[in-house]
Amino acid sequence: MASAPATASAEPILEVSGLYKHYPLTQGILFKKQVGSVKAVDGVDFTLRRGETLGIVGESGCGKSTVAKMLVNLERPTAGSIKYKGEDITKLSGRALKAVRRNIQMVFQDPYTSLNPRMTVGDIIGEPYDIHPEVAPKGDRRRRVRELLDVVGLNPEYINRYPHQFSGGQRQRIGIARGLALRPEVIVADEPVSALDVSVQAQVINLMDRLQNEFDLSYVFIAHDLSIVRHISDRVGVMYLGRIVEIGKDAEIYDHPTHPYTQALLSAVPVPDPEAREHRERIILAGDVPSPTNIPSGCRFRTRCWKAQERCAQEVPALVVPPHLRGRGGPEAHDSACHFAEAGSVMRSAPGQVVPTEAES
Amino acid sequence: MLLEVRDLHVEFRTRDGVAKAVNGVDYGVDAGETLAVLGESGSGKSVTAQAVMGILDMPPGRITGGEILFQGRDLLRLKEEERRKVRGAEMAMIFQDALSSLNPVLTVGDQLGEMFVVHRGMSRKDARAKAVELMDRVRIPAAKERVRQYPHQFSGGMRQRIMIAMALALEPALIIADEPTTALDVTVQAQVMELLAELRREYRMGLILITHDLGVVADVADKIAVMYAGRIVESAPVHDIYKAPAHPYTRGLLDSIPRLDQKGRQLYAIKGLPPNLMDIPPGCAFHPRCPLAQDVCRTDVPPLYEVTDSDADRGSACHFWRECLHG
Ligand SMILES: Nc1ncnc2c1ncn2[C@@H]1O[C@H](COP(=O)(O)OP(=O)(O)OP(=O)(O)O)[C@@H](O)[C@H]1O
Ligand SMILES: Nc1ncnc2c1ncn2[C@@H]1O[C@H](COP(=O)(O)OP(=O)(O)O)[C@@H](O)[C@H]1O
Ligand code: SF4
Ligand code: SF4
Ligand SMILES: [Mg+2]
Ligand SMILES: [Mg+2]
Repeated sequence: MASAPATASAEPILEVSGLYKHYPLTQGILFKKQVGSVKAVDGVDFTLRRGETLGIVGESGCGKSTVAKMLVNLERPTAGSIKYKGEDITKLSGRALKAVRRNIQMVFQDPYTSLNPRMTVGDIIGEPYDIHPEVAPKGDRRRRVRELLDVVGLNPEYINRYPHQFSGGQRQRIGIARGLALRPEVIVADEPVSALDVSVQAQVINLMDRLQNEFDLSYVFIAHDLSIVRHISDRVGVMYLGRIVEIGKDAEIYDHPTHPYTQALLSAVPVPDPEAREHRERIILAGDVPSPTNIPSGCRFRTRCWKAQERCAQEVPALVVPPHLRGRGGPEAHDSACHFAEAGSVMRSAPGQVVPTEAES
Repeated sequence: MLLEVRDLHVEFRTRDGVAKAVNGVDYGVDAGETLAVLGESGSGKSVTAQAVMGILDMPPGRITGGEILFQGRDLLRLKEEERRKVRGAEMAMIFQDALSSLNPVLTVGDQLGEMFVVHRGMSRKDARAKAVELMDRVRIPAAKERVRQYPHQFSGGMRQRIMIAMALALEPALIIADEPTTALDVTVQAQVMELLAELRREYRMGLILITHDLGVVADVADKIAVMYAGRIVESAPVHDIYKAPAHPYTRGLLDSIPRLDQKGRQLYAIKGLPPNLMDIPPGCAFHPRCPLAQDVCRTDVPPLYEVTDSDADRGSACHFWRECLHG
């Protein structure tokens, strides 16, 4: 991941464009009348390249999990396309869809509830073979499952145990083994370590790192912990209220953010270094995230943005390299959906910790 | 010292056996000071706090030893009635999960006002005015209107601020915040921590901040107590511990967090898992996971040694604290 050779030159494996998921809000019992909609995902675009890890960060409720579910076909998009190796999977059905789904697997957020408590570990990991018997013939399944247990660092003898007999970190390994069963090319991991203790988090992250190299996997890695995402990602997308507002290489986003929301998010990350706290400035955002049923006009971040102007209420900023930064090149020239995107004078309060100096609170 | 916990022991009797959740905890906090209690889940942070507050589930819980000195009095010797007066008025607690600790069928105004009615004998009307004032204090916009709303009508960050308002209501001398921001996002987390720090300065309260997030601790604490398997294994001023930990467990925790500024290939991971509290390893409880463990660690329980190589007031429950500190 960090040093994986994934570069801009690698071929795209997933191309997402104009992705929307709106859940209808209805009233009335007999005659359901639609009174609005929850705009959980509201226009998401990104590309995932082979062998790469794309991190997606954002606050609770911004639509990360909904994007993940659409990628693995657990939810149908309201609009938009998801191309896997050039083919739009939202248009597929039947056998063609099944074949593609095999290649995109998901690892879930919560190791405590995402495993069926009444199934043995062997059945849980082997379950995907019921749907895709072509991958492993019946007689070969237990051997495969034992192999998978070994791959994720669990004792193959545990094959007949139940989930409750494992710790959180071990359960997350089981979830990963299951995700690997069909030999997918893409793994979508939705907060795979958020529920784990720090000491165990590191074990699981290292495991995912190793597996990526071993099986040439591409990851979409979703989390709200910015430090973990930086550690694991080649590129990072920042989501706010259903949309990606800034995306780029990890250093572009973490060291040269140009979107005010990213700048605020980064400045709020607690730094494990008490020396840093005296000379660091925080942007404490005013107010709360607006409801996804009622997204502000123009720039969706404007109700909390300290730089907002008239234009921000009128015009939706596109996710492109801002024209005024394009000419200059350099790390600031990456996609940022802000009319007034700028690096600001960047101040380092801790090594690598980036805080714009004109921070307001 | 405003609060001093001495050699506290708590166990839980369950069907499967006796879980030794707290095994000789010592910590203290002064007025105007922030003590951070750090440790993995299950290490006994909340149980210790519940014992201090007098809200431990008994049974199955049982305090089997120790003292809890608050402003000089041993709380464990007080009658329940006296204890109740201390709770709320002199010490208050903020819980991790704000939604479930607020009453869903009462307006936040009624819940905040209740404190003044019960403890201060105020009229409903005056109590409501107080509630609005408190909501203003914790920066809830349009407090006058929102005082009539119910908890579910507020966002997670706002609910946590209402919990803080409730804890502050009677201006207690001590506040215990149990993972107050774990369920919140970084931006909201920052708002809440900032607010707590400001209020602590203003009222000169003692603050015990329970968390497993080393980043949060570094940002706000004066000193740290690190817990493992129901004991304090290291205590020190915050600057010293981050610069050079004197216990291998603390060192492991610090090394295993990914940092924004370090993008290495491999994260350090403490091997193994936290112990089963029904069957705590003999000797040093950390020995099965410790890279520095020697034979003596398997047999002799390390006391909380004074770290004499440091000017600061530090302690470490490791036979080899010196090697760890300088290693
Ligand atoms: N089935 C549904 N019906 C209606 N609204 C939904 C549904 N699923 C999700 N939402 C809403 O869509 C928004 C995005 O939800 P999502 O689960 O994608 O957030 P998230 O970014 O993963 O958050 P978290 O960090 O808390 O996991 C939220 O406002 C959520 O309440
Ligand atoms: N009411 C209870 N009954 C039985 N065991 C309990 C109870 N409350 C806590 N425990 C146990 O005590 C131990 C310490 O818990 P706790 O203090 O909540 O940990 P943490 O450090 O995560 O706050 C855990 O093993 C927990 O399961
Ligand atoms: S477009 Fe305007 S409101 Fe939106 S982030 Fe940029 S400056 Fe702020
Ligand atoms: S006493 Fe021994 S096992 Fe325990 S922390 Fe120190 S070196 Fe490690
Ligand atoms: Mg989610
Ligand atoms: Mg707890």
